[in-house]
Amino acid sequence: MDPSRIRNFSVIAHIDHGKSTLADRFLEITGALQAREMEAQVLDAMDLERERGITIKAHPVRLSYTARSGEPYVLNLIDTPGHVDFSYEVTRSLAACEGALLLVDASQGVEAQTLANAYLAVDNSLEIIPVINKIDLPGAQPEEARRQIEEIVGLDGSGALLASAKLGTGVPEILEAIVERLPPPGGSPGAPLKALIFDSWYDAYRGVVIVIRVIDGTINRGMKIRLMAQGQDYESLQVGVFTPRATEVESLGAGEVGFLVANIKKISDAKIGDTITESARPAAEPFPGFKELKPMVFAGLYPVEGHQYPELRDALEKLRLNDASFFYEPETSAALGFGFRCGFLGLLHMEIVQERLEREFDMDLVTTAPGVLYRVTTTDGLMHEIDSPSKLPDAGAIRTIEEPIITAMILTPAEHVGGILQLCQDKRGVQKKLEYLAADRVLITYDLPFNEVVLDFYDRLKTISRGYASLDYHVTGYWPSPLVKLDILVNGDPVDALSVIVHRDMAYERGRALASKMRELIPRQMFEVAIQAAIGGRIVARESVKALRKNVLAKCYGGDITRKRKLLEKQKEGKKRMKQVGKVQIPQEAFLAVLKMGVDKED
Amino acid sequence: MLGLYIHVPFCAAICNYCNFNRGVFDADLKARYVDALLTEIDRAGQAGRAGGADTIYFGGGTPSLLEPGEVGAIVAACARAFALGADSEITLEANPETVTRDRLAAFRAEGVTRLSVGVQSFRDDELRRLSRLHTAARARAAVGEARAAGFDNVSIDLMMWLPGQSVADWLASVDDAVSVDPDHLSLYLLEVYPNAPLREEMARARWSQAPDEDAEAMYLTAMERLEAAGYRQYEISNVAKAGRRSRHNLKYWTDGEWLGLGCGAHSTQGGVRWKNVSAPGDYVRRIASRSDIRDEVRSMSADERLGDALFTGLRLTDGIDLAALGGRYGVDLWARYGGELDRYLEAGCLIREGPRLRLTRRGMLLAHEVMAVFV
Repeated sequence: MDPSRIRNFSVIAHIDHGKSTLADRFLEITGALQAREMEAQVLDAMDLERERGITIKAHPVRLSYTARSGEPYVLNLIDTPGHVDFSYEVTRSLAACEGALLLVDASQGVEAQTLANAYLAVDNSLEIIPVINKIDLPGAQPEEARRQIEEIVGLDGSGALLASAKLGTGVPEILEAIVERLPPPGGSPGAPLKALIFDSWYDAYRGVVIVIRVIDGTINRGMKIRLMAQGQDYESLQVGVFTPRATEVESLGAGEVGFLVANIKKISDAKIGDTITESARPAAEPFPGFKELKPMVFAGLYPVEGHQYPELRDALEKLRLNDASFFYEPETSAALGFGFRCGFLGLLHMEIVQERLEREFDMDLVTTAPGVLYRVTTTDGLMHEIDSPSKLPDAGAIRTIEEPIITAMILTPAEHVGGILQLCQDKRGVQKKLEYLAADRVLITYDLPFNEVVLDFYDRLKTISRGYASLDYHVTGYWPSPLVKLDILVNGDPVDALSVIVHRDMAYERGRALASKMRELIPRQMFEVAIQAAIGGRIVARESVKALRKNVLAKCYGGDITRKRKLLEKQKEGKKRMKQVGKVQIPQEAFLAVLKMGVDKED
Repeated sequence: MLGLYIHVPFCAAICNYCNFNRGVFDADLKARYVDALLTEIDRAGQAGRAGGADTIYFGGGTPSLLEPGEVGAIVAACARAFALGADSEITLEANPETVTRDRLAAFRAEGVTRLSVGVQSFRDDELRRLSRLHTAARARAAVGEARAAGFDNVSIDLMMWLPGQSVADWLASVDDAVSVDPDHLSLYLLEVYPNAPLREEMARARWSQAPDEDAEAMYLTAMERLEAAGYRQYEISNVAKAGRRSRHNLKYWTDGEWLGLGCGAHSTQGGVRWKNVSAPGDYVRRIASRSDIRDEVRSMSADERLGDALFTGLRLTDGIDLAALGGRYGVDLWARYGGELDRYLEAGCLIREGPRLRLTRRGMLLAHEVMAVFV
């Protein structure tokens, strides 16, 4: 196919700024799908994605578009995940494009996520077309949005297109601009094959389906190929494109986007960012920028009922088939029994996995407080990566602990700057920059310990800014910190699943807050329950849940035994959702109490 | 033998804490309602659902708002339909402000053998908070009038853990109750339902219920005082002098059978539980049109029957005979529940004596914790 007739682009947008709706309009206009056969928002295939209005996996769609000049074009829409947890996948998707639409909500303006991804696009030398969406809404301020695009993002706002994806207004002009303003792909058709993997998933019938952008050369069906980072050879069994239905083709040439099936069994063998080449005539260099995705946030997942352990293991195995960035290994907790230590790209990723386990696999789970990956150097000079408080060596054996640091970009209206700076200071942050991008838009850049952000930073940021501040971040390094393990003892016994790693200077306050929160969350039992917080064996806080004194309803009205039974059944159901630790029944949410402490303080 | 529950859904005024099936008194509706009741009783008799019965319990609402003649007609209908024996227990719930000596004598003459007086408290401030229509003095007088009218079986209802009530306030009511010398007492912990007007009034007037520790003390101390005064506790909420246990209510706790007649009344017979439609008007119409008056019907599995028998039986101070019940249902109850019951035995809520399992007095306050094991 003639590369001059191809345009590869993605859409950069903040959550809810209308990306999926715009994609739906593209599909309709180009006739890829008839309106009546479209389920709303075809691109967000997973239920969860549709419910949350976010895109987790990138799905490319090939659109056949006849330009106003009468010439046919192929437009490949490469959808990008919209959340900071998946920023590596965003970079790989952007690397597959020559251009991008920067979609900005006419009433919301530019958000941190948009800004971060727009910068990524600029870094990837993408041509950007700003689009101001939702101009039909009563609160729309297209001129303000245009000004923000110029002042905040630094793009020429005069070329911004106005649209209402919902009504279809301005959408044909966007398609025309894609053809006219975005460059066609470069690359040399005659060079050895070089194709970038920017997405992959597991299909029960075909094995791993890889989504590729061909940079140089051509990939054919039946070709012997090599995954360069992986160093493994396979045979290309199917190549094809998404229209959006998977449609097989004979070959994909330079500049084209499509899929490849090559009898790859495990998704971890087809890593996003890897380069595919021809075994017989390999490219000299892989496409740059590949990196191994490492989980950043760790938490324990346990079945509420111990006998569900094998089911949980099977469910995790199935999830892992489709999600190479998610990690798990068996873990045993004295309190919770058999479960798994799981690693995630971030908090959203963790929530998604949790929800899928509960929804698709009907698991009842206890999740422990999320933590990050610490580097601990012991007195023998060895460095250990610690993903769980229970693995932290004794204080005496530790020489240094380093914690991961993120660089956070917070975009906020000016009036909330004070509160946000205070929050960042409270969270042990180091200010890097504070820029007034526009009269009322401030970009705050901070280095922050990732652990603090994982705990309750985002909720508090939203509270402080009444929802107006937005956050983007990436992990930028490690710094040494005096960190200690904070233990929670229930009736004198430490409950390993409740331990958290905290900064020494905050340990005392955290301990008190955590013990007090636990007292609220643990219901009265048949006996008094003592809750203590301890740092290295020293008790820093003490609370108690008094013994249950009464739980009886005396009156039985005219022989209504059925109502009594219903009451008892409800009670029993409530108990089932608690985890028995020793003799104490602890509700699921108590294991995440540490996440809920700061939020209440704001109320 | 069957127990018969007759529901009387009328009250002179609506109490602010009550969520029972009742409405404000309406003379015309009452007349039609009593006719419908008589019809339902006749039909139940004709349908052969009637085995013999030996108790009738008029509950409400305020059954003492019925005229003695109406009560007599209902008792007579029951006697015809259910071969009521001469020694049957026939209880009428009565509110103190609705009775006089003469009226009570008339009820007695119509066959009522037992009076359950809705006293609730012997303190006027508490009665006002509960929006009751009577005073403590009226309650005292009503018990005296019952004696004078020839009732030798009188029960008193009292409620504890009232808004603003201290342990001492409560015990004063208990002592007053003892001083009027009833044969039987029912002691209930007030339950403030989420939508009860009382809840709103409490918030407005800043009344609160005492801490759980006090509620526990109220219950335990009252039971001790009543036992010292010659009463024996036989059920979580009930104490009686010798021979004066409520035979009707015992059927609920001993896997018995009863028919509920009237709107919203609950029945249990032949392993089926059902409830009549709740609204009196709806009930009257359905009786007139001969359509089904039942609303919720539940056929119980053997497991449910067993579970119900276990948790209801535990309400009694005698507890349950696991060997006997297990034998009847063909289940080894210790094997099935022993593990779960251990923690309650250990915590001193339950006592095992041979084949019997019973709640301790402290365990009675925690009865729902234990009973949930059986559902």
